[in-house]
Formats: sequence, C-alpha cells, structure tokens
Amino acid sequence: MDFYFGLAQIIGVHTLLGLSAYILLLTGQVSLAQAGFYAIGAYVAGMLTVLGGWHLVPALGASAVCGAAVACAVGFPALRVKGLMLVIATLAFGEGVRLFFFNFDYQIAKGDLKVGPLGGEGFRQIRFFPENGWSTFEVMLFIWVFVAGAMALLWWFDRSRYGTVLRAVGEDELAAQSVGINLTAVKVSAMTVGGAIAGVGGGLYAHYTTHIEHSSFNILVATFAIAYPIVGGLRSVFGTLLAVIFVQGFLIEGLRFLGDWRNLLFGALIVLAMNLRPSGFLGTGRRA
Amino acid sequence: MLELRSLSRHFGGVRAVDGLDLTVQEGQIFGLIGPNGSGKSTTVNVITGLFAPTAGSILFRGQDLAALPTHRRLRAGIARTFQNIRLFGQLSVWQNLWVAQNSAEDQARQGFFTRWLGGQRGVRDEIGPLLEFSGLAHKRDELAANLAFGEQRRLELARALAAKPRLLLLDEPAAGMNSEEIGQLRDRILKLRERGVTILLVEHVMELVMGVTDRIAVLNFGQKIAEGTPAEIQAHPAVRKAYLGGEKA
Amino acid sequence: MLDFLQSLSDGLLFGSTYALIGIGFTLVFGVMHKINMAYAAASIGGAYSGLLVLKVMAAAPPALVFFGAFLGGGVAGALVYVTCFHFIPLRSPLATLMSTVGMLLLIDEIVVHVTNGMPQNYPAMFDDVMLRAGEFTLRGDLLLVFGVAVLCMAALMLLLYRTRLGLATRAVSQQPVAARLCGIRLERVNATTFIITGLLGGIAGALIGASVGTLSPLLTTPLTVKGLIVTVIGGLGSIPGAIVAGLLVGGFENVLQMYRGVTERDLYVMLLLFVFLTFRPGGIFAPRGGRD
Repeated sequence: MDFYFGLAQIIGVHTLLGLSAYILLLTGQVSLAQAGFYAIGAYVAGMLTVLGGWHLVPALGASAVCGAAVACAVGFPALRVKGLMLVIATLAFGEGVRLFFFNFDYQIAKGDLKVGPLGGEGFRQIRFFPENGWSTFEVMLFIWVFVAGAMALLWWFDRSRYGTVLRAVGEDELAAQSVGINLTAVKVSAMTVGGAIAGVGGGLYAHYTTHIEHSSFNILVATFAIAYPIVGGLRSVFGTLLAVIFVQGFLIEGLRFLGDWRNLLFGALIVLAMNLRPSGFLGTGRRA
Repeated sequence: MLELRSLSRHFGGVRAVDGLDLTVQEGQIFGLIGPNGSGKSTTVNVITGLFAPTAGSILFRGQDLAALPTHRRLRAGIARTFQNIRLFGQLSVWQNLWVAQNSAEDQARQGFFTRWLGGQRGVRDEIGPLLEFSGLAHKRDELAANLAFGEQRRLELARALAAKPRLLLLDEPAAGMNSEEIGQLRDRILKLRERGVTILLVEHVMELVMGVTDRIAVLNFGQKIAEGTPAEIQAHPAVRKAYLGGEKA
Repeated sequence: MLDFLQSLSDGLLFGSTYALIGIGFTLVFGVMHKINMAYAAASIGGAYSGLLVLKVMAAAPPALVFFGAFLGGGVAGALVYVTCFHFIPLRSPLATLMSTVGMLLLIDEIVVHVTNGMPQNYPAMFDDVMLRAGEFTLRGDLLLVFGVAVLCMAALMLLLYRTRLGLATRAVSQQPVAARLCGIRLERVNATTFIITGLLGGIAGALIGASVGTLSPLLTTPLTVKGLIVTVIGGLGSIPGAIVAGLLVGGFENVLQMYRGVTERDLYVMLLLFVFLTFRPGGIFAPRGGRD
C-alpha cells in the first residue's frame, strides 16, 4: 500500500509543477523556467526546516514567496520579448539555477554531523517528515491538500475575469492591447503565480525525497513541467492532472519492467503524442 | 476632441502617412476615405498607439498622446474596431465583452478584487444592454469563432463599445456587408452619436460614408487631398481623380 | 595581459563551432519561424555517428571521421524534420516545440545507450601543431576548427545567395504564402533546410569533439543552451548575427573561465543573455524580412 501512497505523492508534486506552467501557458507563453522556481522552493524549504528548525508549513510559505519573487523578477525582462525568445530565456534561466545550486555550499554543524547543501553532492538529510513521525499516508494527504488548493485557485481564476483575460492575451495580444489590457502586467502576474505554485511544489518534493541535488532540476524536469499542460490540454486544470497521472502513473510505473529502455521511451512517446494529437488530451479550449 | 498635427508615419522609404492635419469635433461623425494604400488604416493604428508617429503629434481632448501606450489610450477613451476582425475566437460572445471592460469608469466603479476575481454576476447589468444593442443576446454563450460573419462584425463593434469610449475608430466596418446590413450599421452608428460618442469612420463603402458622416477627409498617398461635407466631396475633382483616374463619374 | 589575449584568441577560435550551431538554430527559425530544440542533440548525434567510421575502419584518417559526422548530421536533421515538422500542422507551434524537445531527449538517450554512458575519444587533426609568436600560441587543431567552420559558413552563404534553392529558402523565410503561390514547394524547402543545417551541425559536433578531445552526451544540454543564447544575441533569423555572436560567446566564455573557473563560467554566459534581453532584445542584428 505504501507504494501507491508514494506514487500518489509523486503525482501530487508533479501536478503542482504542471499547474505552474499551465497558468503561463494560458497567456501563450511557454516557460522552461518552472523547474528553476521548483528548485528554489526545494532548497529554501529544506534549508529553513533543516538549518533553521522551522516547521514545514511556514517553510512552504517562504518557498512560495521566494518562487514568486524570483519569477516576478525574471518575468519583467523575459516577457518583454516575443514568445520563442521566452522559451530560450527561460531555458537559460532554468539551467542557470541548476548551475547555481551545483556550486552552492552552506553547511552548519548539528551535533557531530554537518548538514546543509553541499554543491554537487546535494542537500541530504531533509528529515522533517521522519523526525516528526509522519506516515507515508499522512505525507501524501498533506501534499494533496496543497494540490487541491492550487487546483481550486486556478479553477477559480478560470471562471473569473482574470482567467478570461489570460486566455484573451494568449489568443491575440494585439486585440487584447487594443481593448485596454496591460499585457506586461498580465503576463508577469501569471508568471508570479506560477512561480509561487512551483515553489511550494519544490518544497514538498524536497521533504518527501529527503535528498535533493542539482540534477533533480534539469531540463527533463523543465520539460515535464510544460509537457503536462500541453499534453493535458488547456481547457481546464483537470487536463494537467490527467496528464500527470498518465505519465507518472501509467508510463513510468507501468513501464517499469522495461528498465533502462524506459528513458528512451519518454522522448519517443512525446514525439508520438504530438504527432497524433497536437492539441492535447482534453483539447485546447483555445487555438493551439 | 481629436486633433492630428502634421502627423507622419514612415516605414523605411514608404510614407504611409505624410503631414496629416485633421480635427474631429466632439459629437461628429467624421469620415476618412481614400483609395487602397492611402494610409487610412495606418492613421488609425498610429492614433491607437500601435505605431509611434515618425513626426507630428496627436491630441486627444487637449492631451498629447505620445507618452501613452496602447492600453492606456483605451482607458483614456479611444476604442477601435479592426478591419480584419480580431475577436477572441475561443472565448464566448459574453467573454469577449467582459475582457474589454477596461474604461476608467469601470475601474473606478468596482474594487480591484471584485473586478478581477469576481464572477459574471456583477457585470450583467453592464454587458446585457450591449448585447441587446448589437442584437447578440441570443448568442451570449456561443464561441466567437462560430458566429456568422455579420454577427462577428457586430460583436467587434460591441466589444469596442464595452470600453465606454468617447472616441470610436471604425476601420472599414462595412466590408463584406449587403445593403440591408449596411442600413442596420448606419442606424447603429447614428444611435451611438445620440449617446454622445464621437466617431471616426474609415471606409470604402460610399453608401455608408455618404449617408452617415457630417464631414469627410480624403487621403491619397498618405496626404490629405480634400476635406468637406459629403456633398462637397462628391463633387470635388481631385477626389474623382484619385478614385477614378480623372474620368467623369 | 598575455593570458587574456591567449584566452580570448583560443575562445574566439572555438567560438566558431558555437557560430555553426547558432546558424543552425537561426536558419530554421528564419525559414519556419520555429525553434528546433533538438538541433544541438542532433549535431552531437551526428558527431557520434562519425565514430562509426572508426568501427568499420580502425585506422581511418580523422578527415573521414569528420565526413562521417557530416553525413550523420544530415541524416539526423532529416529525421528530426520528419518526426517533428512534416506531419504536425504548422499552426500548432506548441506541438512542434514539444516534439522537438521529445527528440532531444530521445537522441540523448540513444547516445547514452549505445555508448553505455562512457565518453568517447574523438580524433583530432594537427593537435600537435603549435604556431608561436613569442609567448603567444595558436593551437593547430583550433585553427583547423576555425578554418573548417569558416569554410562551411562560406559554403552556406554561397548556397543561400547563389543558388535557386537558396533563393527559394530566402523567399519562404520572408513570405511563405506568396512563395507557395509562386510555385515553391514549401515542404521541400523546409526539409532541405533541415538537412543542410543538419550537415552543418554534424560538422560542428565533430569539430567540438576534436577540440575537446572527447565526446560525451553531457555536452548536449549546455550546447543547446549556448547555441540558443548565441542565436538570441545574434538576432533570431540573422546568420551574420549568429556568426558574430558565436565568436563573442566563445571568446567571452573562455576569458571568464580563465578568471573564474569552469563551474562559474556558464553562469556568466547566461547573465550575458539576460543583459542582451534587457537592453537589446532584438539581438546584434535585427532579423531580416519583416514577417512580424
């Protein structure tokens, strides 16, 4: 049973990752930076609970704030350029974050152990959950509270004027400008919300795996982040959830018997999926 | 209301608009006509801020527009329609109007939170009448991309009106319409004038222009070659020459 | 001062490979208005396929290996075209982007599988040749890299500006609809663009392998990022821009490596990108053709 709880944890965290890309995708912006905000959230939350002795919940709050702040800062220069340039800029940013953590050392002594991030070695011993006696089931529930919260938030956006404006910007920027929509404000706000969600996701990830390192936040993760909403379609948040369940649940677990060949299959399957159904599982709800 | 002073817009060597002087009084319906390529659409684009002028200035209600970006000009009271309709195809009719409610008045009326995160209920009183006016109430939830051509044109106009403009720039609204539709459009434009909207009408379809405008300016190669009442313009030899190449009408 | 000049010149010479990669990205963007994320991976894949020559003929001269990489790159380019651009409707930009990312992952994994994750030695030419001017040296192999790269760029320019195919390519990049109306077969131009950039990429990959001495799949991601940075700094769609930017990034990166070490070096390259994005988002040369 624990195995399924563990899988549900992974699905939950990846859904947060996907949702952070979803909101930006509504505005027509493809961002490969979400893994970067995810990484920042992970290290911030980890450091606060391990080095600062914080409880996890405020640590996650800090993750959200840090993710949001960095996203906002990155958004301003990056979103002033056209769509494809954004892909490149966010890719570069994501890789930059990964390289930063590859070089990042900050350790303190706790008893006779040294704890904290250690460059290429990574950040081990993020043991908030085990130290406080959380069971796998409880961790899973905890994660899903946040997932449900994020989905509810985005679903609410979708039904409000904000969500409609996001989609209008994604549809036709020129027309949106001409009816009075401030493009930069809208795009940066979406990026900020996405950064916050990714930050929380990263913080949760750090704590259920207990060990993070720079390679956990590479281009593959950045790809997963946007793949989920693209494959799931942009009509609703549930598409992203379905896509995560499909990829993580069915593909990764179901094809475990393939062993090493599994990695080969990811790329091939993405290519196949895009050829067969360019508009995603649930369709776009907007022009692809 | 609107004053263009020596307005110029060049694209490399092409002088799309060249030293244009124009004044539109409040409450007027002003027509802007000219052969294809004479600079009419470019003029509209410069007024709304999509292009910056190469020279000259634009004054709207006494205020120089140079510093204002496009979305701010909308809030200042200038709205436009597009020649090739640019609706938000995957949004419904209602949603197209909803996202366009960006006038200064609307911003003051509702708080930030309600305006952005509130639901549809708060704006029913505002959008309902717009739907009635454009005859689209029965298609409220239809995707804009699924509307018939004439309905799309009406939605384009309604969306411009959603912003409660003082000045409305219509870019060839009658293109592709039949006589009956043109008549309906004419009536709608006149009703808008009754409500106090000033209109700059860029158009090719003479049936509409001559029948609804107070004053007309004629462009050719980016320059104004004539200005006057519809009757004066119809008789003007330079206009005849520009359109018809010098033949007798 | 001498160290600085030495670093700079070595970096500039190596930067010619970045220029080739940048050209590949920028050419596809100019013609199809799309980014082929798999390009750098395909180039490295092409370079690896050059090594197949050594499997067949153990004492093959390096030039033959490079030629194998050249051809391998072309094949890889055609493959990416067919899987990512031929069937997917071009008005689904997200789908084509995702599928090129899929190909990037796939090619990477294939290389890892075939080589069991072990870095492979790559043959170099003239690596024992050193031209000296006092304390200042010019490595023979780097000079060759530079020379071959320049030759390729010249050949490409000849192709674009002196042949019918090149004319058709330029026409499509400026006005695709009008080009079709003039009878130009869009699919053929697109496919050929991919094959040509693939050939270029294969050479670039081989040159990189030759100057570094080994090839490893770990090269793929940094090369993709740097290649894209070069493309953006040079101006999306501008070939002269990609050339200048490639040399610039190569020189910049090497000088920074001298002062700050290898691990921090790449961070500074990213910073360079953001500086450009903030102050000159159009790149060094504004893109040609007023398409947007």
